[in-house]
Amino acid sequence: MVVILEASHRKLWLMLQEAVKILLTSQNPDGGWGAFASKRSATEITALALLALQAAHDNAEEPALRKGKEWLIKRQNADGSWPLNDSLKAPSWSTALAMIALSESGQFEERLVKAGSWALEQEGSKPGIFANLILALTFQKKAVQLNEDLIGWSWTPNSFSWVEPTSYFLLALKKTKRLLASKTLEDRIRQGELMIYDRMCDNGGWNYGNSTVYGDQLLPYPDTTAVALIALQNWRERKENQMSIRALAEMTKSTDSGLALSWSAICFSLYGQEDAELRKRLVERFAKTKFLGETKAIALGILAIGNGARLFRV
Amino acid sequence: MNRRQFLKASAGASLYPFLPGCDQQVLWEKEAFLKAKNSRVAILAAEQYGGSLQDTVRRGIDLFRLDVKGKRILLKPNLVEFDPKGAINTHPAVIEATITAFKTLGAREVIVAEGPGHRRDNEYLLVASGLYDVIKEHRIRYVDLNTDDIRLTKLKSNFTNFKQLYLPETLYNADLLVSMPKLKTHHWAGVTLSLKNMFGVVPGSVYGWPKNALHWAGIVGSILDINSSLPLPRFAIVDGIVGMEGNGPLQGQEKKSGVLIFGDDLVAVDATAARLMKIEPRKVKYLDLAAAFLGNLGYEQIEQIGENLQPYQQNFRVIDNFAYLKELVD
Repeated sequence: MVVILEASHRKLWLMLQEAVKILLTSQNPDGGWGAFASKRSATEITALALLALQAAHDNAEEPALRKGKEWLIKRQNADGSWPLNDSLKAPSWSTALAMIALSESGQFEERLVKAGSWALEQEGSKPGIFANLILALTFQKKAVQLNEDLIGWSWTPNSFSWVEPTSYFLLALKKTKRLLASKTLEDRIRQGELMIYDRMCDNGGWNYGNSTVYGDQLLPYPDTTAVALIALQNWRERKENQMSIRALAEMTKSTDSGLALSWSAICFSLYGQEDAELRKRLVERFAKTKFLGETKAIALGILAIGNGARLFRV
Repeated sequence: MNRRQFLKASAGASLYPFLPGCDQQVLWEKEAFLKAKNSRVAILAAEQYGGSLQDTVRRGIDLFRLDVKGKRILLKPNLVEFDPKGAINTHPAVIEATITAFKTLGAREVIVAEGPGHRRDNEYLLVASGLYDVIKEHRIRYVDLNTDDIRLTKLKSNFTNFKQLYLPETLYNADLLVSMPKLKTHHWAGVTLSLKNMFGVVPGSVYGWPKNALHWAGIVGSILDINSSLPLPRFAIVDGIVGMEGNGPLQGQEKKSGVLIFGDDLVAVDATAARLMKIEPRKVKYLDLAAAFLGNLGYEQIEQIGENLQPYQQNFRVIDNFAYLKELVD
């Protein structure tokens, strides 16, 4: 195994080796990965594990990588979407992650076109007339301040647009843009971006989807903020991006977790702000908790340490 | 209830994000619910998260003579989010005392499980809240219910249009589910206690964060459908040592109540907890509906054991939209 590593620090190297080993040993016999070792394979987790192995290996034929890709390819639904896992075959938000994972190889263009078409058909819902009527009739204070007309992507069909799924779909569509010839592509991307900006917390960064509830500000989360900033990377000079990248730097000072530090490191890297101290803390955290054995955090840790940010570049 | 009150109750319970309906037909499998005539709820004084807390928790559990020997016990605290300045979560000291109590009572295994409604970052929540140290110290499992393996479960009531829900496999492999909420007011549901705490068993990977599909289907209906259909017996321990008033469940203010509440009828536990907050349980829509088939709500149907209710009652503030909850009936 040849590991592509920019950093020469021995501790980084050792963490990378150990994390890759954990990832390889936690691969299910069916080729996919679950949220934790021995859990059923899931699309989101398998997609991120594949990206991690792509970052850590220079051999596309590496057996684990090949088996993982096979798992993913076999699960694509006829409509182009991916299910959450084998227990729930309905189309899911994790389609975006599958698209990102397969977008690098250049082998799956037809599948990506189909997935992209499906993704463009999905829209978060707006509040119904009934809900607005109830608010009006009962003179109730509107709970959240956001532009309901800006549509992104939801976690589940027929529900509200949220920051994280919208960010994943934006990233997936931006990475596969050259393959997609839809008239609605640019408009959906633009509207998704505006939706994310609309939900930004007052001092930068993102919560799961609202900035305030009944006038009280919600806390921004580092992982959601990093994912949103990655999706908006082509607008890095905008003041909202700059404010949010500063907010992220502030958040990471007090947040120690594999998920938060890994997404943040990937984000900083894409914004040209490599952070050696953050990676050092990531290594220390891994040594302490092994990220609780969460496959997703381990995969993101590999991507953060192993120059995987390039796989999220648009 | 007049038209205005009805509309307020409906909208308050089913507010954002923008629900399709508020007035459901009451439908449940009558043969599946054999409600006891009376229920017992224990209020035990607990001034702080230390001292004799261990003994208090054990005493509370003993009052219900739970048969836990050789059983797998699933503790479901409230770990929806963490704010170092807030009182959002079930305190780890209460969870630790409960772990010890069930272990000493001979439980085969005690598991802590949660599917945080807002944050996807388990490691952050566990470490920041202090629960990680407890789990490590006691060498027990923590299960992330958001990403657990899932099983399709037919609902035994029909207050939403779900008909069936995917629930975590871990629920099917346990013998007793202990709901361990924080004593809090809630800006969508009025109060969040042991019944509402069960939102956390619904997997986010399937239903999104913040369990958005449940909000769209109706918070009231979702609370009822989830609680009517969980595949295992339940018990409740409410952390009311320090609760939250105002814009809960996240942005409210701390409120000391100095009690723990125990019971095996979750409706009765929540009704008692609401009364402790000087909130009328009959006006909390989901509690009122739950009283028809899931448990007892009436003051006269609940045998109060342990401390008397009145000395521990505190006036928990609610947001303006729920002001009507403060009009007490008894």
